[in-house]
Amino acid sequence: MKTISSPASPQKVLAVKRTDPVSGLEILSMAVEALWGNKLRTGLTMLGVVIGIASVIAIASVGQGVQKATEQRIQALGTDVLQVLPSAARTGGISQGVGSSSTLTWQDAEAIVKEAPAVAAVSAYLQRPGQVVYEKDNHSTNIVGIDLNYSEVKNTKTALGRFLTPEELDQAQSVAILGSTVRDELFGKDSTPIGKKLRIQTESYEIIGVFEPKGSEGSMDRDDQVFIPLTSMSKRIVGNNALSGVAVNGLFVKARSNDDMEAAKFQVVNLLRLRHNLAASQDDDFTIRNQTDIVNTFTAVVGLLTIMVVTIASISLVVGGIGIANIMLVSVVERTREIGIRKAVGAANSDILNQFLVESIVISTVGGSIGMAIGIVTAFLASLAFSFPFVLSIWAIVCGLVLSFIVGLLAGVIPARNAARLDPIAALRSD
Amino acid sequence: MPQMIQMQAITKTYRLGEVNVPVLKRIDLEIEQGQYVAIMGASGSGKSTLMNIIGCLDRPTTGNYVLEGRNLTAFSDDELAYVRNQRIGFVFQQFNLLSRSTALENVMLPMIYANIPKSKRRQQATQALIRVGLANFLSNRPSQLSGGQQQRVAIARALVNKPALVLADEPTGALDSETSREVMELLTELNQQGITIVVVTHNPEVAARTKQVIRVQDGLIVH
Repeated sequence: MKTISSPASPQKVLAVKRTDPVSGLEILSMAVEALWGNKLRTGLTMLGVVIGIASVIAIASVGQGVQKATEQRIQALGTDVLQVLPSAARTGGISQGVGSSSTLTWQDAEAIVKEAPAVAAVSAYLQRPGQVVYEKDNHSTNIVGIDLNYSEVKNTKTALGRFLTPEELDQAQSVAILGSTVRDELFGKDSTPIGKKLRIQTESYEIIGVFEPKGSEGSMDRDDQVFIPLTSMSKRIVGNNALSGVAVNGLFVKARSNDDMEAAKFQVVNLLRLRHNLAASQDDDFTIRNQTDIVNTFTAVVGLLTIMVVTIASISLVVGGIGIANIMLVSVVERTREIGIRKAVGAANSDILNQFLVESIVISTVGGSIGMAIGIVTAFLASLAFSFPFVLSIWAIVCGLVLSFIVGLLAGVIPARNAARLDPIAALRSD
Repeated sequence: MPQMIQMQAITKTYRLGEVNVPVLKRIDLEIEQGQYVAIMGASGSGKSTLMNIIGCLDRPTTGNYVLEGRNLTAFSDDELAYVRNQRIGFVFQQFNLLSRSTALENVMLPMIYANIPKSKRRQQATQALIRVGLANFLSNRPSQLSGGQQQRVAIARALVNKPALVLADEPTGALDSETSREVMELLTELNQQGITIVVVTHNPEVAARTKQVIRVQDGLIVH
């Protein structure tokens, strides 16, 4: 064997293995470079996750917003309040609807407070639609006669002025408390109309207060009302039409606590049947509504619907993940030679694995973040358009990010493993 | 002179369906540090397989391969990858550059897998490109370079981690004779600086520039 001596390169001290893996930042920058090099494909691949996360976030946020709106409504109603309404009047078998007869009286209200131990307070009301006039402006609204318990039972306070006094109620004085919408319409927004005179039918009423806004209930604006003493309402506007006592449109019954609701209902039913002289065979001539039950049912339905629609939206996320997996598989095949080169110059299998895994995760999390932004904006616009509170929970954001990360990870596993397992010689020979 | 490469009774057998195809029947080979060797042989002789085993891209079926005193027989894939990264530079017939990366990025690639920080990578890759005469082409992509320039980028990439051994597989196979001569001069220069060089070639002119020629025929070294 012919040998010619020449100066050798000094032998380096070489560990068997690299001590540290290639840093995550390095891998990330390689991934971003590769993805940036093929913007259209990257963008289209992202689209699936963008749409998936956007719909999940938007629907979850809208669902929570609607639930919150319902909760606020419960708070406004008072969770411990029953509403007692006269039963539908029947004319030859034709029901005229709940509240159409006048079997309930103010005296029933007083009896309930006295006799039913589970009841804390009762407020009776009598209402009619009517016109209110201030100088040359008039406004069609709902005129409600209330008693002294209204404020406590309905959990409402005056924002301006004061509530009724016992004298004003007893003597059927001509005083009025406005809902904030009526104040805004007749006197201007945020004005203070205390002491001014409001005309209802032929009589003049002195404004003594304005209730704080309560918001709307369905399509009904609960602030578009004018409140006067029940006695004034009954005597001057409606006219007393009950056989005995002051006829009212309904009672609000406040139980001692939420736990006393069932007891309160039982006591009220029995007391009223007794007072109304109903025989055992006769139906109640009144109806008891528990608003909380209705609202709770509604909330549960909205919650279920939200979960259902979010589940459907999640399917689009799965489809998006499959799209990423598909494109990554194609990408590995296309870049076989690149993988061969990287391995020849010293990339370990784990380096190749990480590179493709990170590419997949970057596509998915960037797509997820864009989708989240779109989802949040959509939910915000929806909350403006349909006037419910905009709810954005940290939980939804974290979930969205974690979810898109997991989608990227799962979508990348098989392509990245294929890439890492490529034989460098075969990979270098490929076209 | 210490040995760069020691091979004892190396065989390589591929399995094609039911049939075992022996590609290397028995290779015993020693190459000293600082050598400049040509491996010649007809296609199908097994020279490429031998080259891949020397370059740690492939493993022998049986036999011992010792590189710079390290017995690589029991090395894992990742350990072999690190040996390639640190001790071996590759120059291929088809250049094998990353087409979407610039010359500089291509030369920086092996240093990524050596955990060298980016600023140092840039500096060393620039030096390597200056050394092969491409100072003005740092940010050109392969498609913007001639074949000879691309091969010089590949040589710069092979050198950048300061390897002990450079393996060149038909380095002039895709080049015209003038460019071939330049590339061979560059390899000779590297050898003079102490790097062991092994060239696989058909070309007698290329082989003539080396200090030693090894002929492979039917999976055996013939003398």
